[in-house]
Amino acid sequence: MNESENNFETLKQLLKLKRHEVPPPGHFSNFSGSVISRIRAGEADGGQTLTERLHVTAPWLVSFLQIFETKPGLVGAFATSLCLLLVLGVVFSERSDSSPNSLLTAATESTASSGASLTSLTAPVLAAATDNSGIVASTNPVVSLQPAAAMFGQQNPLFQSASFAPAGN
Amino acid sequence: MLMSEPATVSDASTPAGMLEGDLVRRARHGDLNAYDELVKRYQERIYATIYHMTSNHEDANDLAQESFIKAYQALKSFKGGSSFYTWLYRIAVNKTINFLKQRKNRHHLSLNDLDFNAEHDPDLVALISDKTPHRDAGLSELQKKLNESLLKLSEPHRMVVVLHDVQGVSHEEIAEIAGCNVGTVRSRLFYARQQLQGYLAEYMKPA
Repeated sequence: MNESENNFETLKQLLKLKRHEVPPPGHFSNFSGSVISRIRAGEADGGQTLTERLHVTAPWLVSFLQIFETKPGLVGAFATSLCLLLVLGVVFSERSDSSPNSLLTAATESTASSGASLTSLTAPVLAAATDNSGIVASTNPVVSLQPAAAMFGQQNPLFQSASFAPAGN
Repeated sequence: MLMSEPATVSDASTPAGMLEGDLVRRARHGDLNAYDELVKRYQERIYATIYHMTSNHEDANDLAQESFIKAYQALKSFKGGSSFYTWLYRIAVNKTINFLKQRKNRHHLSLNDLDFNAEHDPDLVALISDKTPHRDAGLSELQKKLNESLLKLSEPHRMVVVLHDVQGVSHEEIAEIAGCNVGTVRSRLFYARQQLQGYLAEYMKPA
């Protein structure tokens, strides 16, 4: 190792130049004061500022907000799109409130065409459902009573229409 | 700015006269006057280490301040297993390495001026005297080249060469600061010097 140490003597002399690099005069006169005042400010703010806490907990939110800082026009665009979303939400919620009635109407029509006996079976249920139209939800079992094959205009081989007519007729 | 034990002052009633251990104990209990004294004792060394690693005065100033603030906040976790300045060095070095990794290869030199003694340092004069007739220009050029060469080293290698060859920190202390063994420090130092010798070949005169 001594030989290699000797090989690096010139380099060490050269590196001595770094020791002569000094900061501007008076740089350290207020250095400790700055450190202490920053510590005091941090303690007064409860250790961390809100921004610093956000940087740790939600960095994505910080970067998202920084986009607005650089492009203020985006704030208006973002607010407009939020309002549009709100309006669309209201409109669609009103439409979805009315959709169970239309489903019931369709179900009634299809069951009427699928046979009188089935109609007689489902009619009381449908009637009860339509009577309670104020509280009908999209999960109303009326829809499930409809034969699946009839929905697509196909004949279900397992489907047989029941008849309750007296045997003599 | 070589590493040495701080000078002891006889008046032990003021922070300036207190031993390091007493100052640390007081600072841990929230005594900012005691911590102010600790900052004053180590500010130049911490700043110099960071400056030699970044080659940028503004970055070094910011990082040095942040290192002292972080050290104060983490003072309760300081167990006293090592000396305070070794612990402080570790914080500063880790902070600097993280900063340099984030900045990647976007280096911006902001070099400090050379002091008056540089022109009269016989070792430096001997190195540049036959390279250029203008000594000042030669020193500035050498300073720039030296800093650029240091920035080409990886952060762990740069740290070792800065701490040992510029700051005069011992191998054992560097091992403690870097959290590795002395053998690793020696091998990193050897490799870093070899690299630097290659980068600065034009300034190396045969013995």
